[in-house]
Amino acid sequence: MAAQEKITVYNLADLKNTTDDAIPNYLTSLNFTPSHLLTDVRLALGFSAFALSAACFAWDYKLGFESTKTYTAFAVALYTILNGFLTFWILYVEKGTIYQGTSPRGDKIRISTETKKNVPVYHMTIEVKDGKTGETKTLKISRSFTEWFDAAGRFVAAPLQTVLAQGVDVIGKVDTKRANAVKTEGGESGPAAAVYTPEMLAMLSGAGVSVVGSAAETATGTETAEAKKGGKRRKN
Amino acid sequence: MLSALGNPRQAAAQLMNFGLILSTAFMMWKGLSVISDSPSPIVVVLSGSMEPAFQRGDLLMLWNRNLFTETSVGEVVVYNVKDKDIPIVHRVISKFGTGPTAKLLTKGDNNDSDDTKLYAPGQNYLVREDIIGSVVGYMPFVGYVTIMLSEHPWMKTVMLGIMGLVVVLQRE
Repeated sequence: MAAQEKITVYNLADLKNTTDDAIPNYLTSLNFTPSHLLTDVRLALGFSAFALSAACFAWDYKLGFESTKTYTAFAVALYTILNGFLTFWILYVEKGTIYQGTSPRGDKIRISTETKKNVPVYHMTIEVKDGKTGETKTLKISRSFTEWFDAAGRFVAAPLQTVLAQGVDVIGKVDTKRANAVKTEGGESGPAAAVYTPEMLAMLSGAGVSVVGSAAETATGTETAEAKKGGKRRKN
Repeated sequence: MLSALGNPRQAAAQLMNFGLILSTAFMMWKGLSVISDSPSPIVVVLSGSMEPAFQRGDLLMLWNRNLFTETSVGEVVVYNVKDKDIPIVHRVISKFGTGPTAKLLTKGDNNDSDDTKLYAPGQNYLVREDIIGSVVGYMPFVGYVTIMLSEHPWMKTVMLGIMGLVVVLQRE
């Protein structure tokens, strides 16, 4: 994970969008099967409204206004209905859902997220339906973005995955590695204490952040650390 | 951000957002057109023939339905000369007869003579059908952008291109 995109940490939309993109990637990597129903309905509604307006443009351009007045009136009314339904769909049915799918064990999961204006806290609402018993549960997890973005704006996947694996047992049963990792006590104001695993440190130092402290140096084992060890010897 | 376009559904959703902006603007225009019964419910004044009432660059709102009264003398109307596509904004100064076959004569407030020489050869008057609307409201200066866009058509392509890029690359 050497060269990685940096985002502006002050831009709440970037923070939310990057995190929203990362969660489906994580779940897909655990072999969850996504359900594209919500997106497909939204695309169908939007593109059919667009097609209708394209048709209206075409007949108006070819045949003129007067002769096509009635068709245009109907097209405008139908377009308003389609667009209204699309808005309703996005606001009330999708409701901020970023992932919907089934785990490899057969449990259904649906994650929707939101942020409040100018507050860097990520609110997740997770609905799970157990594959065997059929019971549904809703969990809410709210964490500060500082838990998985560093000060420069790089996204670190491991802490977010740990939050999800430890907070949602449907995910934890599939991703046992993260579920059993050191539990990070966090909340809306950020992690209580920074817990870095050796791999996280390797990534951070590999990306050019200078690492001080012998424990970190022995844990990394990258070229940068070796060069530093060489430097130290020379100075002596 | 651009890497997000690797996912085809997301790319389709971004494209859809841009397309919907264009189509909603177009449908609002058509809706206004249908309600006012005018092929062009908003026009820009292109010449100074109606000064001091309307200046070049003013935006005019038109209404083409005679719900309460017929088009009468003194109204400012917009008409297209037969077979020409340029709308002219002038005032009705005389009317002979009533109903859809009434003969109307127009003249620009700032012109010396009436519009007889502007009409098609052999045409000495207008009828109600030639008129595409009466002016019911106006906004000064706003139309200058349209004048610039029509005199420099490349600006339209540039504007649309910039709008498209901005919507597709941003996800707010």
